[in-house]
Amino acid sequence: MTSDSISADDPRRLLAEVRALAHRVRADQRMTWAALLVLGVTTLLAIPVDWFGMRVDCHSDGSCEFARNGMLYFWPAAMVLAYAAIAVWYFRAARARGLGTRVLPYAITGAVTTVVFPAAWLAVFLYFRSHPYPDGPMPYWQFVLDRLVMPWGMIGVALLVLVWLERNLALLLFTAGYLALVLLVLPMNDGFASPHLGFRAGMALPQLIVGVVLLLAAAGFARAGRRR
Amino acid sequence: MNDHPSLGLDDVVHQRVRLGILTIAHEARRVEFGYLRTQLDLTAGNLSKHLSVLEGAGLIEVEKGYEGRRPRTWITLTPAGTTALADEIGRLKQLIARVETTPED
Repeated sequence: MTSDSISADDPRRLLAEVRALAHRVRADQRMTWAALLVLGVTTLLAIPVDWFGMRVDCHSDGSCEFARNGMLYFWPAAMVLAYAAIAVWYFRAARARGLGTRVLPYAITGAVTTVVFPAAWLAVFLYFRSHPYPDGPMPYWQFVLDRLVMPWGMIGVALLVLVWLERNLALLLFTAGYLALVLLVLPMNDGFASPHLGFRAGMALPQLIVGVVLLLAAAGFARAGRRR
Repeated sequence: MNDHPSLGLDDVVHQRVRLGILTIAHEARRVEFGYLRTQLDLTAGNLSKHLSVLEGAGLIEVEKGYEGRRPRTWITLTPAGTTALADEIGRLKQLIARVETTPED
């Protein structure tokens, strides 16, 4: 850039320069890998809490009742800490680069989503105190909704806010794939039912897959950032 | 009455470096002097002159401080600066639209 005064016939070039500068600043502010790393580690830490905090009562007919109490206590606190850590990490990195940061709305959204899971759990609990359990299987949309309000679904929803803040197309593609995985593919709410897996292992396996996916994505974004 | 968009251009903002400063400050929320100098490829003296013009017009705020022993100068956009940047970009888009819709002789 030079300090020349511009003439009226080059607005297109000037706008292109403005857009290029804005894009460069946004790219310099990104710490996508750090957010994914923190969320991946938090997901993996939740596995033993869920494993040991789960109450399982299996009956002679092979059916089991379970209550994932460990998750209920772990995730709200863990999410608040995780999003606080992400915000601090972003803030420090941006400051070191000589920039402000736009991560705060993401961190706040993420922290707010932590109340969704216990609130949904409480709502279901109160509902079934005065209503009978349905005889048939849950409709598919209720399954998906159940998975959405769980912590892994909320991680995806909050990531959409980060996509918007960072105007990050790569993160949008990842988030779309991630949400499809946790909402439509992996049995996050009832676990894998396999004779080779115990009940707790069936619950842990989808969480392990989600944690590994987040960590792999963190590695991918870190590598792409270094290349840039 | 002539309403050509070029007549509405603000001389303070309608200058490549100053528009660059406002753009970066807007995107970054807050930007340090050294980052601006690197991105805009300017000398410290040249950048300081442009910052003085923008500060004098009330479009930016300059905050000087220390980080450890290192002096740091942070620049933030004022609400007037945000408005001026949006107006300038709007005028530029109008100019482009006018050029594209004006038939050639």
